[in-house]
Amino acid sequence: MSIIKYFGLDKIGLFFRIIKQHGGIRASLYKLYRMDELMDGTLVGTDNFGNKYFENKNNMFGRDRWVEYSPHVGMDYDGSQVSVEWYGWLHHKTDIPPPEAKKLGYSWLADPNQPNPTGTTDAYIPYSTTRPKVEPWIPKSKSQ
Amino acid sequence: MMNSAKLSSLARNSLQYAALRNVMRSNVITQTRNCYVNVSPEDPKMDWESITDRAATHMFFREVARGFAITLAHMFKEPATLNYPFEKGPLSPRFRGEHALRRYPSGEERCIACKLCEAICPAQAITIEAEEREDGARRTTRYDIDMTKCIYCGFCQEACPVDAIVEGPNFEFSTETHEELLYNKEKLLSNGDKWEPEIAVNIQDDYLYR
Repeated sequence: MSIIKYFGLDKIGLFFRIIKQHGGIRASLYKLYRMDELMDGTLVGTDNFGNKYFENKNNMFGRDRWVEYSPHVGMDYDGSQVSVEWYGWLHHKTDIPPPEAKKLGYSWLADPNQPNPTGTTDAYIPYSTTRPKVEPWIPKSKSQ
Repeated sequence: MMNSAKLSSLARNSLQYAALRNVMRSNVITQTRNCYVNVSPEDPKMDWESITDRAATHMFFREVARGFAITLAHMFKEPATLNYPFEKGPLSPRFRGEHALRRYPSGEERCIACKLCEAICPAQAITIEAEEREDGARRTTRYDIDMTKCIYCGFCQEACPVDAIVEGPNFEFSTETHEELLYNKEKLLSNGDKWEPEIAVNIQDDYLYR
């Protein structure tokens, strides 16, 4: 261990590297406002929604993988915006990143990027999937 | 015999009884305890050196300074918490989350309306109605799960003979209203269509233990 590392002075270099990685001071401040943290990591992949997935194996387990939500959602990011394809990787169920994983390829599979629709016009409303058991009586009018 | 009667008559008088007890106790061998250890903190030393040391500790706020130092040290440490929703905790393949109805690779729905899940459900959250389809297959016309009744015990997926109803890995399905959690068959099937890649991986991971 070098003397610079012993006193933790390498963190200063890391700080400037993270600022550069996030695209300057202004962009870093926005990211800090949006994500509460500036993380140093390598880009593993991007999904169709525009979410970026990062990894840094030096962090503790659980903090070593993270998602940066698509820029177009702004501050309205939500946990359910993570793609189904990346879900297992982000939750440490698998170590194989989705670009290298085997795809199922069924034609009936739905869009893997469907955020939780509650509170929007697309929200699910329950309805009956059966025919009604009681038929309403429609009286014949006298004219017939 | 006579002595004991005399003693008991003596004992009726309380004053005499006390005197009698002293007489009797003098003959009893009692255990003496003289190896006591003082476990309470020692009294502070009151010599001049100790007094000035204590005074200096108080004057320079040693405890306060040490507290600030610990706070400062923790600001530079890696936090022990996860920054949800950006970072997410580990999940097991056996995690029991939102329900889904699966399909065969051909697109045919798996559920054959055997109603085993309905029977085993301890919360009675599942309602099934079955009818014969045009091609003669037995299928459900109604498959409702009240997600607010469900206790997520996973008995339904264990009971299912065709792996149709499963509890998928999704836990981020909270809603703003109660009625959005009264899932019907089409909602469950669309859940299955969305989550099938993850569900298939979970079942594959766990096949040796099922």
